Amino acid sequence: MSGLKLIDVSKSYGATRVLDGVSLAIAPREFIAFLGPSGSGKSTLLRIIAGLESLDAGEVRLGGARIDTLAPGARGIAMVFQHYALYPHMTVRENMAFGLVNAHVPKDEIARRIAQAAEILEITAQLDKKPAQMSGGQRQRVAIGRAIVKQPQLFLLDEPLSNLDAALRNRTRVELAQLRNRVDAALIMVTHDQAEAMTLADRIVIINDRRIQQVGTPAEVYARPANAFVARFVGSPAMAMLPATLDGAEGGRVQARLAEGTMLRTAVPTRGLEQGAAVEIGLRPEHVTLAAPGAEGLPARVELVERLGDRTFIYARLAGGPEIIAHAPGFSQVRPGDEVRLAIDAAAAHIFAADGTAHHPDARP
Amino acid sequence: MTTAAGAWRERLAGYAFVGPFLAVYAAVLVVPLIMGLYISLNNADLFGRREWVGLANYVQAMGDPVLHQALGNTLVLALLIVPPLTAIALMLALALNRPGRLAAVLRGVFFSSLVLSVTIVTLIWRFILVPDAGLIAEGLEALGRPPIPFLSDPDLVIPAIAVTTLWWSLGFPIMLLLAGLQQVPGDIYEAAALDGASRWTVLRRITLPAIRRTLLLVVMLQTAAQLQIFGQAQLLTGGGPGGASRTIVLYIFEVSFGRWELGYATAIAELLFGMILTLTLLQYWLVTRHEEPRP
Amino acid sequence: MNAPGSSASRLSPLATVLLLIGAAIMLAPMLWTLLLSFKSNAALMADSGAALSPPWTLENYAAILQGSLTMQWLVNSLIVATGATVGVLVLSSLAGYGFARLEFPFRRTLFVVVLLGLAVPEQAVILPRHQLFAWAGLHNSYPGLILPSLTGSFGVFFMTQYFRALPKELDEAALLDGASRFTLFWKVLLPLTIPAQATLGVFTFLAAWNDYWWPLISATTSDYFTLTVGLASAQMNYAQTSGLGFLMAQAVFASIPILIVYIAFQKQIVRAMAGAAVR
Repeated sequence: MSGLKLIDVSKSYGATRVLDGVSLAIAPREFIAFLGPSGSGKSTLLRIIAGLESLDAGEVRLGGARIDTLAPGARGIAMVFQHYALYPHMTVRENMAFGLVNAHVPKDEIARRIAQAAEILEITAQLDKKPAQMSGGQRQRVAIGRAIVKQPQLFLLDEPLSNLDAALRNRTRVELAQLRNRVDAALIMVTHDQAEAMTLADRIVIINDRRIQQVGTPAEVYARPANAFVARFVGSPAMAMLPATLDGAEGGRVQARLAEGTMLRTAVPTRGLEQGAAVEIGLRPEHVTLAAPGAEGLPARVELVERLGDRTFIYARLAGGPEIIAHAPGFSQVRPGDEVRLAIDAAAAHIFAADGTAHHPDARP
Repeated sequence: MTTAAGAWRERLAGYAFVGPFLAVYAAVLVVPLIMGLYISLNNADLFGRREWVGLANYVQAMGDPVLHQALGNTLVLALLIVPPLTAIALMLALALNRPGRLAAVLRGVFFSSLVLSVTIVTLIWRFILVPDAGLIAEGLEALGRPPIPFLSDPDLVIPAIAVTTLWWSLGFPIMLLLAGLQQVPGDIYEAAALDGASRWTVLRRITLPAIRRTLLLVVMLQTAAQLQIFGQAQLLTGGGPGGASRTIVLYIFEVSFGRWELGYATAIAELLFGMILTLTLLQYWLVTRHEEPRP
Repeated sequence: MNAPGSSASRLSPLATVLLLIGAAIMLAPMLWTLLLSFKSNAALMADSGAALSPPWTLENYAAILQGSLTMQWLVNSLIVATGATVGVLVLSSLAGYGFARLEFPFRRTLFVVVLLGLAVPEQAVILPRHQLFAWAGLHNSYPGLILPSLTGSFGVFFMTQYFRALPKELDEAALLDGASRFTLFWKVLLPLTIPAQATLGVFTFLAAWNDYWWPLISATTSDYFTLTVGLASAQMNYAQTSGLGFLMAQAVFASIPILIVYIAFQKQIVRAMAGAAVR
């Protein structure tokens, strides 16, 4: 059985293009995250798959069959809404049964599925209560239960963790991971939080500016971002982007000169890059450290210090203006306003060309 | 919705849901409304006779002394009722806009008259006002004074109807004003208190401007309602004596069901409609023209 | 803490006294009527001041209950008011859902047309309506008395606003649960509108019960009179019958149902009337 296929999906609201020729293929039991900032089109894409919005061009197929011409309830899809959308006047049991009743599933089958789902989600005691009598976490489990009993081919999750406080968020993350193992279906989760996507998804679909920017596993997306946007969006704190000019090559790898003069010997192959081109150097905090006393390094002024306990992030500004983020182990003594020198692991630098393409360093031997 | 078929189904469903209401609305409101305009241009009676006369009915209305008298009566009534009603309702709303059992009970008392029908109200007040067995007459007798013929003295009938209507109509404006007062955010009053404002200043400079729109609504609704007084005039005084308390709507009723002149009656009705619409729009414009446009 | 906007200060003694006097003035007419109803007609004929002193009697009420036309009028009022209420609730709910949640051509135009109905006063339509109903043979019938109440734009406006305020997510969840449009309406959204139904229902019942002009001209045979109209005819015939006590008892009797509704639904009534101001 094949999974979900989006073929060249486009959508406009009046004169505004919201999605532009989006194509994607998902395997039957994959957990996919649609990741992107607000307004990127990711929620629209989810709603098109669900049938809550129409598409202007393209096709949606599930399990080989075309579903974009079907009513939402006939697509074999279940959705967990951001605010749960539980029917307030119905008990939990009735909430979960509603979809099955509409589909004319036999009563004993309905009872069986509800009992099973309630047990998995530990809400058996709530079955005869109404949503208003339950906590937020319980309500979310009911929303998930309502989706489970429909035994869909595809689960859609709309920002499942956004509503929750930090403690509940961790718990729910675990539950979602467990859900994934229990059901025989694909899952698509929409989120703007890259940490959520990185921890839960098999593959991440990064959407921005009406298009898919990259599709890849968390590792791929982190280590080899397809363009500057992905590079900045994934990873916390974000990758720093330093303007530079390509100036020479050595051993097939380019060299780049930063605005204030320092030359970096990168591990990026010269293929596709022009000498003298204006580019951006991408550096993650883990590749920038405080230079040992007396050693060489880029001069920078510290602006902000973030002490996390096991490490410290140092937000600094280089001479000439660009911002950079360095890390130090433990509790660093650095304070805002200090002048420091930063050591850069140039071999880990990425290069982003002006045309948006990304060039990554060769793996270290 | 998602597909062409889905959109079509939604359209059909839409018409199915609004259809029943629209059918009744069209048949029982829109059709008569248009018919009315047409009939007013005819000499017609209640039995279906029609004879086109163009604007003759309207011309006749302009020159009809009975209508002029009725117009005068109606305007006087409106003037006697709307300002005092608004003022009293405002005072009561201000006084009753507080928590506590007494206020709640009193609110219930002042609202109670509005649930009664016009026939009950006129029945009740007939036997207050009537010189023979009326409550006021009994009171005057106890004081050794002669009874006052409220319902048969041409100079007293209109005030009598006005008082009756005031008693009857008090509840609704109080309700509207209470709702308006409760929408004023409490922190404005707190800020005023901190600014050392006296109660009178607070009333004049803060409360009244804040409920301006509600006051306007009250005045507009009451003007429209009192220009259409019918039952009180018909039942308390029959429009008399000598037409001294005949209102426009009562005249319309008499012309159509007494003289069978449906065309003429309809023309008067359309004129009244126009007058009410103009007056309420005028009131709206006068009050809101200085306001900034609403967000 | 005080409710927002309510006066925090206590009423001065003068204000309290004035208020109580005002309340007494409000109640006095009704009390007078009540007292009169407890006197026999004969006693009142002899001395009109007799109402204020005993003996008092229930004979007027007995006469009403023993099959005077008043009972028929009560039944008529009940049928008409209940019919109007049910009709308005059904039509307004269906139309309210349609306008609030469904897309169809001319939806906005049609809604404006309905809203304009709020500006039309009774006298602009009542005479032609009378003609229309005469031609359709609807006078002196229950449908004839009920139909005009069903054209009320307020109900549609009110229910449309209420449906609009319900979260769209519920619709979406129900659609994904395979519900048809009607199932969505009937099982998911309508149950959530019960407060609005109560408010609109009480409001409609009151208006229909107290309606005067239309029943007056549409029901010309006395067995189709509603209480409101019947009382008017009794009032106008008073001169002939001089049954003052009986007449007052009729007035009280006619007030009882409406006062019961008022006391039971006081909250809804206030909300319905005040809701008109909150535009």
